[in-house]
Amino acid sequence: MTTEDTEIKFDRSLLGVENDIGEYPVTKEMIVKFARSTGERNPLYYDDEAGSESEYGSVIAPPTFCNMFVSGITRPDIKLEFGEVSLFAGQAIESVSPVRPGDTLSAKTKLKEVYAKTGRSGKMVFQVWETNFANQDGDTVALVQESYVKRNRRPR
Amino acid sequence: MAESMFIDLHTHSVSSDDSRAPVEQYVKWIGMLRRKGFTIDGFVLTEHRKFDYDKDYSRLSEENDVLIMKGSELDTNMGHFLVYGVTEALTDAVDFSNVTMDAMELVRAAEEHNAIAFPAHPGRFGIGLCEFTDSGADFSVIRAAEGLNGSNRPGEQERAEELIRLLGVPATGGSDAHLVSAIAKCMTSFDGQVLNETDLVRELRSGNFGPVRLDDTL
Repeated sequence: MTTEDTEIKFDRSLLGVENDIGEYPVTKEMIVKFARSTGERNPLYYDDEAGSESEYGSVIAPPTFCNMFVSGITRPDIKLEFGEVSLFAGQAIESVSPVRPGDTLSAKTKLKEVYAKTGRSGKMVFQVWETNFANQDGDTVALVQESYVKRNRRPR
Repeated sequence: MAESMFIDLHTHSVSSDDSRAPVEQYVKWIGMLRRKGFTIDGFVLTEHRKFDYDKDYSRLSEENDVLIMKGSELDTNMGHFLVYGVTEALTDAVDFSNVTMDAMELVRAAEEHNAIAFPAHPGRFGIGLCEFTDSGADFSVIRAAEGLNGSNRPGEQERAEELIRLLGVPATGGSDAHLVSAIAKCMTSFDGQVLNETDLVRELRSGNFGPVRLDDTL
C-alpha cells in the first residue's frame, strides 16, 4: 500500500511522558461556587447535612469539577510540523472517585496520542492530552482528555 | 418470498474520535423505532481508521435481537471508504491508520482478502470520490458505492447519485450516525439473509441490494 505522507512530524519523545502541572487544594467554597456557576442544584454539592447523609458521607464536588483546573495549564510544545490553524477540538471528563472539601489534588498531564484524519476541510492532525487528577491518598479522582486540531487554511 | 432485511451499513460509536454514541444506546433507540413500526434488522459499526477486534457485541445483539456487525471507514487518497469483512490478514496487509493510502489498492486488497471496500458518501465535498474523478485513477475495480448517506449536506446527495450512475454500480445506504438519534435514518435493503460479516460480504458482492430510508420500512 502507498504510505506517502503518513509520517506526522512531531517530538515523539513526549508521548506518554507525565508532566507535573501543580497542586490544587479544594475547599467547600470552591465546590459551591463551581456548582452554582454550572447550574447544579443537587444539595450534595452545597449542604453538609445532605452530604453526611449520602453514601459519600460529605459534600462532594460535581463530576466536571476538575475541568476548572485544566484551562490554564501550560503544556510542552510537541513541535508539530503541520498546519497553519490550531483549534480546540473537544474535551471528555471521566469522574473516577469523589472530590471532597479538604482534598489536595495533584495533576499530571501527558501526550496520549497524535493522529491524522481527513474531513471536508482536508487533512487534520489531532493531539490528545490526558490529565490525571489524584487526591492526597494517590487515588485518581478524574481523567480529563482534551484534543486540539491543526489544519491548513482553506484556499480562497 | 422472504422479506427483505434492513441494515444500517454506516455508523460510528464512542470508539470513533468524533462520536459520543454508546452502542447500547443505539440498540435502545432501535427498540424505540421498532415499537413505532419501523423495520430495522441491525447495523454495522464502521469506526474511523481502525477495526475493533477487542469489541464483542454478541451478547448485546442476542439479548435485543439486533444484528450488530463490525467494519471500518478508512481515509484514503480519494476520500473515505467503507470496508466490510475485515480480517487480521487484511489489517496486516493494510495500515488502517494511513490517511493517504491508495484507495484503489485498498479495494483490491479487500477483494484479495474476502472483504469488500467501496466509497463512503461519494458526493461529499472534500472527502467524497466525486472530488477525485479527474485523478485518472481506474475506478473499474469498484463494485458498489454508498448511495444514501444520512449525514449528507445540501448538494452532496445529487453528486453521489450522478457519480454512481456513471460508475454503474449498485448503491448502499447508511446513516453515518455519530449521534444516537441518527441511527437507521438510511439503510440498505438485502433480499438475501445476512446473519454475520461473511454473509454481508457475500450479499454486497452479489449486487442484490439497494438503499432505503427509514420511512420506507414502515
